[in-house]
Amino acid sequence: MSTRDLVLAALFAAIIVALGLVPPIMLGFIPVPITAQSLGVMLAGVILGAKRGGFAVLLVLLLVAIGLPVLSGGRGGLATFVSPTAGYLVGWLFAAYVTGYLSERFVDRSQSSIVQIAGFFLAALAGGVVVDHALGVAYLAWGTGTGLMTAFVGDLAFIPGDVLKALIAAFAGRAVMIGYPLLPQRA
Amino acid sequence: MKTLYVEGDTFLHRLSPRVKLVALALSSLLLFLTDSPLLLAAAAVCGGCIYASLGLGWRQSLLRLRPILLTIAIVAIFTLVLNSPGQALTVLLRLTALALLAAAVTATTSTGDFIDEITLAARPLERIGLVRAADLGLSIGLVVRFVPEVLTRYHAIRDAHHARGLKPRPLTLAVPLIILTLRNADEIAAAIDARGIRAQK
Repeated sequence: MSTRDLVLAALFAAIIVALGLVPPIMLGFIPVPITAQSLGVMLAGVILGAKRGGFAVLLVLLLVAIGLPVLSGGRGGLATFVSPTAGYLVGWLFAAYVTGYLSERFVDRSQSSIVQIAGFFLAALAGGVVVDHALGVAYLAWGTGTGLMTAFVGDLAFIPGDVLKALIAAFAGRAVMIGYPLLPQRA
Repeated sequence: MKTLYVEGDTFLHRLSPRVKLVALALSSLLLFLTDSPLLLAAAAVCGGCIYASLGLGWRQSLLRLRPILLTIAIVAIFTLVLNSPGQALTVLLRLTALALLAAAVTATTSTGDFIDEITLAARPLERIGLVRAADLGLSIGLVVRFVPEVLTRYHAIRDAHHARGLKPRPLTLAVPLIILTLRNADEIAAAIDARGIRAQK
């Protein structure tokens, strides 16, 4: 990994950590508060691509593991990896990678803005919603012994918020791609 | 950045980080394999005693564990309503035991020790060519170093919104934050290379 890529990933990890300090928002029609950190994970994939985005998220997970309170709400430490929501946390890694991979494959500068945004949106959905929630539900169901149906039903409340985040990530990803053409090609 | 490590000289503090991590991994495995409420209750009590032996005091201990214990409680209640009381009890005890043990390890192991262990554990991966072990420690250091800067930039962007009478929105905050932050990457990379920090030993 080139030094530039390493630094890009580290800087994005810092962004994800900073987003953890943004207070959660309550939207009227969604029953759970929306935190900004998982938006950062989708952004990492969309903007940096699979390898660098994945590495950025890995760095965040390592920071949590070594005992820094970088998750939203000041959470951190090894205990968060055994909490019921640990599947979502580790799922971030795969979410960023999948989002990044799809973004790299299907979105490029020559497309029209609608196509680019749609591409990023689908990539963010596939990674941040499908993959992350699948892993989250899996650990919730199997690891905590609540059963698949229970876990799935509990998970539904969080999906609208994350779909909204995927949309934001799509627009933001496109804006960064256009506004910062010096960003080394996502590869 | 304030870490979750607590200075002290207890038995756990003196134990090697590797022993603690291996013991934690083994206990986690065992706790997931058993379903007996008796064993799990014993483990939870054990975890509680170990955590209490750290001498953190009620307020600090509760502060650290509150989010996780809350989540565990919610999941336990869900399980109670939708499954059986037996399963709810199992879930409650298992996760609480794990959380207490994990929190005890986190509180007695310094970040430096953790980074050393991670670097050592990453050595085998170096052979596969996945990642350079030394890069992990460097990257972690970079993130910690730049978080305050990113935060300052975030506040500046938010203030700029207010100064222009605009409502700060996730989109209009995130894009400038990302572009301005990533723009420094080249300079920082040049500084790292100029110091030869990543040179092969």
